[in-house]
Amino acid sequence: MEADNGRIVVHIDPDIEDLIPGFLENRRKDMATITEALHVEDYETIQRMGHSMKGAGGGYGFDEITDIGMRMETAAQDEDRDEILGQVQALSDYLERVVIVYDA
Amino acid sequence: MMAILVIDDSADDQLLLRSFLQQEGYDDVMLAGSSSVAFDYLGMSDQDSKASTIDLILMDIVMPDINGIELCRLLMKDERFRNIPVIMVTAHTNDSNLQGAFDAGAVDFIHKPINRIELIARVRSSLNLKHETDKRIQREKELVESTQKLNKANQKLRYLSYVDELTTIANRRYFDEFLAKEWHRASRQQKPLSLIMIDIDFFKDYNDTYGHTRGDVCLSQVARTLSGTLKRPGDFVARYGGEEFVAVLPDTGIRGAAKVAETLRANVQTLGLEHKSSPIDTVVTVSLGVSSAGPAPHSEPDVIVTLSDKALYRAKQEGRNRVVVHRHE
Repeated sequence: MEADNGRIVVHIDPDIEDLIPGFLENRRKDMATITEALHVEDYETIQRMGHSMKGAGGGYGFDEITDIGMRMETAAQDEDRDEILGQVQALSDYLERVVIVYDA
Repeated sequence: MMAILVIDDSADDQLLLRSFLQQEGYDDVMLAGSSSVAFDYLGMSDQDSKASTIDLILMDIVMPDINGIELCRLLMKDERFRNIPVIMVTAHTNDSNLQGAFDAGAVDFIHKPINRIELIARVRSSLNLKHETDKRIQREKELVESTQKLNKANQKLRYLSYVDELTTIANRRYFDEFLAKEWHRASRQQKPLSLIMIDIDFFKDYNDTYGHTRGDVCLSQVARTLSGTLKRPGDFVARYGGEEFVAVLPDTGIRGAAKVAETLRANVQTLGLEHKSSPIDTVVTVSLGVSSAGPAPHSEPDVIVTLSDKALYRAKQEGRNRVVVHRHE
């Protein structure tokens, strides 16, 4: 990924431009859901969400989200609180820095 | 227009798949997030549905309310859905899942995250398969219909090949076949078989006097009378030649046959078809020769035809309009 002034530039298929805002919004919601699930130690939910993110991210063009999802899924299987929190942070960070260029 | 059903509990994946598919020109994409929605689109609970209108299913293996592999199995069992290709689209990538999916009837498998090019290639290939399958099923249906039509036509042809066109009674071909059958049956069952040869008297003169068209009408009327006289279902009369007829009476001995012959003669005379050039009567009459046999095993029916014919000849010699019965001397 290109790093430029702390921004992460991602090239996305212009044909799915209309889906991107919804996708990113869903990921923000995911973060809230995961954080809540962590409070009550509901690792199953976190695993499912990680799995879902793993499957969806790369398809939209966000390979990093697939990676985060994969790590999230494993962390939930291991019931590793710290790792889960770490991945939530990574996702938050990513969403803040990501810049989309429609030209894939 | 090919219709594609997407079954996936992830809304993100549903939307992505639909977007990719629609970009490719597949406008009819249905999204189902649960098995009940999927069943609705398929028309699963609709007892009257003959076949589904869906041409392809993209399905995730793991969903909260139903296992994709189980769903696949269910579809394969149902005749209405068996021909819909199923492509598994899933982030689960271990071999047991793959094997399970194929065992359940899936035709292909795509990993998540989805590669657009791979998706389209697999979709196109499966839709081609579906299209060819649909064509094949249609051809098979047409083949069955054609075969039925052919069988009917053959039946009709067979029937026509046994019928004398003019008089519509059985023809010579029918007579030859069925005499042989009845002869051998009589031999097996040790029952007698009788045969009556019938010939219209002075028919040539009738044609010369009244013309061939009326001659044809006369033949038809005589035939109808002869046929109508025979009451028993096993008996039949056929047109043997130009103005010659033959009646076969299974399970009938000489006395019974002689009675029937006399009735035939009388009924033709009673018809009262005017025949002014007949030297023996004012109406059309027939001469008849009767013979009977208890067929010996491995014998042929020619003998009974010959004997009836000889008796007919004598009937002509002795003045016509009469029955002569062949007696064993």
